[in-house]
Amino acid sequence: MNKAVNQVGTGPANGTGKVVLQVNGVTKQIGHKKIVDRLSFDIHQGEIVGLLGPNGAGKTTTIRMIVGLIGMSEGDVLIKGESVKRHFAKAIAHVGGIIENPEFYPYMTGYDNLKQYQRMAKGITEERIAEVVRLVGLQDAMKKRVKAYSLGMRQRLGIAQALLHNPSILILDEPTNGLDPAGIREMRDYLKRIAREEGIAILVSSHLLSEMELMCSRVVVIQEGKLVTVRTLGDSSAVKEEEQIQVMLRVNDAEQAKLRLVRMEELRVVGIDTDRNQVTIAVHDRDIPNVIDVLRNEGVALYRIEEMKESLEDEFLKWTGGSQSA
Amino acid sequence: MHKLVFNEWLKLFKKRSFFIAYLVIAVFVIGAAYFMAKLSEDAVFNARDFVFMAMSPSGFGTLLLFLVVVGTAGVVSKEYGQGTIKLLLIRAQSRGKILLSKYISIVLYILSLMLTMFVISFITGTIAFGAGAPSVSWNDIAQTALYTLVYTVIYATITFMLGVLTRSTGITVGLTMFLMMLEGLIVGLLAKYSFTKYLIFANTDLSKYVDGGSPLPGMTMSFSVIVIAVYMALFLMVSFVTFKKRDVA
Repeated sequence: MNKAVNQVGTGPANGTGKVVLQVNGVTKQIGHKKIVDRLSFDIHQGEIVGLLGPNGAGKTTTIRMIVGLIGMSEGDVLIKGESVKRHFAKAIAHVGGIIENPEFYPYMTGYDNLKQYQRMAKGITEERIAEVVRLVGLQDAMKKRVKAYSLGMRQRLGIAQALLHNPSILILDEPTNGLDPAGIREMRDYLKRIAREEGIAILVSSHLLSEMELMCSRVVVIQEGKLVTVRTLGDSSAVKEEEQIQVMLRVNDAEQAKLRLVRMEELRVVGIDTDRNQVTIAVHDRDIPNVIDVLRNEGVALYRIEEMKESLEDEFLKWTGGSQSA
Repeated sequence: MHKLVFNEWLKLFKKRSFFIAYLVIAVFVIGAAYFMAKLSEDAVFNARDFVFMAMSPSGFGTLLLFLVVVGTAGVVSKEYGQGTIKLLLIRAQSRGKILLSKYISIVLYILSLMLTMFVISFITGTIAFGAGAPSVSWNDIAQTALYTLVYTVIYATITFMLGVLTRSTGITVGLTMFLMMLEGLIVGLLAKYSFTKYLIFANTDLSKYVDGGSPLPGMTMSFSVIVIAVYMALFLMVSFVTFKKRDVA
């Protein structure tokens, strides 16, 4: 613990960094019900991974098993190779956590609260405390009692306590619960910065899909305790040459446009909406100029051309069958 | 370990209400001395007798116990109530150590209250009654203080266990107070049955053995010490096993 635990990040968004967290076939069974069922996934250095699932999918249980608050019925969690089951203290030393809204001793000052956690870990200096306090911008509030803090300030103090011992991975359970839009954005910016600058891996559970989309490089989707899919969230700038994208064209006459477009081999007509005069096609970037020329020669007026990105929400509903609210 | 105990001590100490217990002791001791000096001016009483009274289980021991139960009932349950348990248990420390540090802080709290009781009663007694010719030795005082300590630690341990089991400060205080009140009644009502002597309630007050007495016929000091030890081991085992195994959901 005295040595710097995290090597400062080189890792691009995912895949190439070292594995920091391994969830291996973790199961939580209460009575006959399996709340989490043989769940496995890995998290690498420097990536932000979202744990998604409908209500009751087992997100919170999974997160609490990873940090040892809830016991595992089967399987194990390895943090930098240390087993949470067998060497809890060693494994958890690499973890910084915020479980739901961080709760502090309200009658103590922010500083006193951080001192509590300093005494429970090895090798945290006064300088380190000052450093994390600066990072979350709470310098002026350190001498105030926590009960006078706003929720946003408590969240920031939560981040401070989680970062105090130079963890390799941050584990956050619904960290944006109860925050206003400004607070959510602030939180997101902190987390992205931490992941980028300190190379810390972050696992975050949330039911706010749009939030996850903005923050995460990968999502792990679970439903009824089981793994549904693991997806890398690509940013649009990195669309591969060979991939067709879906484009919506708004024209003056959808029927006419469609009749002409179906004759073109290089694209596929995916849909037509005559009410709104829209045609949706799947096409390569390089063929789009050609499409425009063809339509103009046909006498079709082109009003708008838009990429149809499937939002995380659409995909999510597809993965989880759309039956439950997120 | 000492750092964890220090943490727990600060959790007690940093509360605004922390000093109230010490203040209550001062008020009660000084008030008692004042009335005793006023009402019975001819009584043969002196500083050491007053200290003895203050330190004995049947003297201010009950007040002490009351303060300890109210002051420490939340040591475990408040962590659950406030939600701080989540951040407490994700540190690089075993749950056993964390709970042990809490128990030690409770014992330290009891000792600090007793020390306060001793110092205040000695000063007040000396001022109110003078040194005089004491009927008790310092040794007697130490002995009765030890009985008070045992009595208080037993109930503090029950409080501790109930705090772990119920996770509710209110229920913990209520139940412990209930048991304290009923202690005498339970033993009295069940006195004719032979199993009664094995109940913890019949054995909590070791001062009953002084001058050859006993809580119930046929009981001895060493018998009570063994019964107490067995119950304490049981209470602590239940507390630790529960605390270590329980899921924090």
